[in-house]
Amino acid sequence: MRILFLVLMGVLLATIGLMLQRVFQGPTIFDRMNGLGVITADTILLIVLFGFLDNQPGMYVDLAMAYAMMGCLGSVVLAKYLGGKKL
Amino acid sequence: MDNYEGIRDKRIVGSPAVHLLSMAVLLFAFWMLLSGNTQPKFLTYGVLTAIIATWVSYPLLLVPNGNDTKRYFVFGVNPAKMVMYIVWLFWQLVLANIDVIRATVRPEIEIDPCVVRFRYQTDNPLARVVLANSITLTPGTVTMNVTEDGMYEVHALTVGAADGLRSGDMQRKVAWLYGEPYEFTILEGKD
Amino acid sequence: MIACVPLQEIIAALLMGLGLIFLVGSMVGMLRLPDFYSRVHASGNSETLGTLLVFLGLAVYNGVSITSAKLLIILMFIFVGNPIGSHILTKAAYKTGHPVWTKKTLPADMLPDSNIEGGEADANLHH
Repeated sequence: MRILFLVLMGVLLATIGLMLQRVFQGPTIFDRMNGLGVITADTILLIVLFGFLDNQPGMYVDLAMAYAMMGCLGSVVLAKYLGGKKL
Repeated sequence: MDNYEGIRDKRIVGSPAVHLLSMAVLLFAFWMLLSGNTQPKFLTYGVLTAIIATWVSYPLLLVPNGNDTKRYFVFGVNPAKMVMYIVWLFWQLVLANIDVIRATVRPEIEIDPCVVRFRYQTDNPLARVVLANSITLTPGTVTMNVTEDGMYEVHALTVGAADGLRSGDMQRKVAWLYGEPYEFTILEGKD
Repeated sequence: MIACVPLQEIIAALLMGLGLIFLVGSMVGMLRLPDFYSRVHASGNSETLGTLLVFLGLAVYNGVSITSAKLLIILMFIFVGNPIGSHILTKAAYKTGHPVWTKKTLPADMLPDSNIEGGEADANLHH
C-alpha cells in the first residue's frame, strides 16, 4: 500500500510540474488559470496522501478540507475578474 | 430578496418548517463531524450555531422562478431520488471518461470539437443548474453558457458526446429528479 | 501470499489504481489537446473522476471513522465545486470571445502541433 501511495504522489508531483510549465507559458490567460485549477485539485490529494504516509491522516484531512473550499472559491473569483461585467 | 415576506410566504414550495428542521439537523451533523467532541458545552454551542446559521441563511436559499410566482428551496429535493441520480451520474461519468481518454491517448487524436445548442425549459431554476453542472461533469461536454430563457451552449469534444447530449437522456433524468414537465428542443444552425 | 491481504485493502488498491489511470489520462490530455476548450475537458472532468476514485479508495482503506467521513465531505466539495470552476472559466473565455477550435479550421495532420496557434478558429461562431 505504501508503494501505491508513493507512486500516486510521484504522478501528482509530475502533473504539478507539467502544469507549472502550462502556467508559465500557456498561450492565453485562461490556460494559465486552468493549470492553476489542476494544481489546486492535485495539491488536495497530495496533502491527504502525505497524511496517510505519515500515519496520522486525521490532521491532514482537515487541512485538505479547508483547501478544497478555498480552491473552488478562488477559481470562481478569478474567472469573474477576468470575464468582466458581462459574466 | 426585495419583497421577502418571511417564512409565511405563500410562494414557498413545500413546507418551511421541514426545510428549517432538516437544514439545522444537517448543519449540526456537520458541526459534530468537524469537532468530534461530545462535551455538553460544545454540544450547546453546536446547537446554537446550527439554529442561528439556519435562520440567517434560509431566505438566501429560496430561489424565485422566472415570473416570481413560486420560490424553490435549494435543498428541497427528494433525497432518495438524488442518491439514485448521483449513482447514475457516476456511472455515466466512468463510461464517458473511458471514451474521452481513449480518444485522447491514441497516437492520432480522434476529436471533433463542436458547439451544441439546445433549449431546455422548466419552471424550476434548480433543474437548470443541476443540468448544467451534470453536463459539465460528464467528460466530453462542457457547458459554456446558459441564458435566461434556457438556451444552453455546450462545447462537445467528440462526436459521441455530442450525440449523447442530443439524445436528451440526461435532460429526462433531471426532469424526473425534480418531477416537473420540461421542453427540450435542439437548436441547429449558427455554427 | 495474496490471502494475507485483507479484502478491504484489495478494493482500496483497485479503486486507487483506477484513479491513477484517470489522473494519467487527464495529464496526457492536458499536454496533447489543441485548444483551451478541449483542455478544459481533460482538466475539469478526468481530473475530477480520478480524484474522486482515489478519495473513495482512501476512505475504504481507512475503514469506518471520522476521517473517512471527512474524506467523503471533501469528495462532495470536489464533486460540486470542480464543474463550477471549469464552467465559470469556460464562460469567461466564451464571453470574452476566445475562438473555438474546430476540425474544419486546420488540416488533420497538424493536430498535435497546433498548441500555440490553437486560436486560429473561425470567429463567426460568436455572435
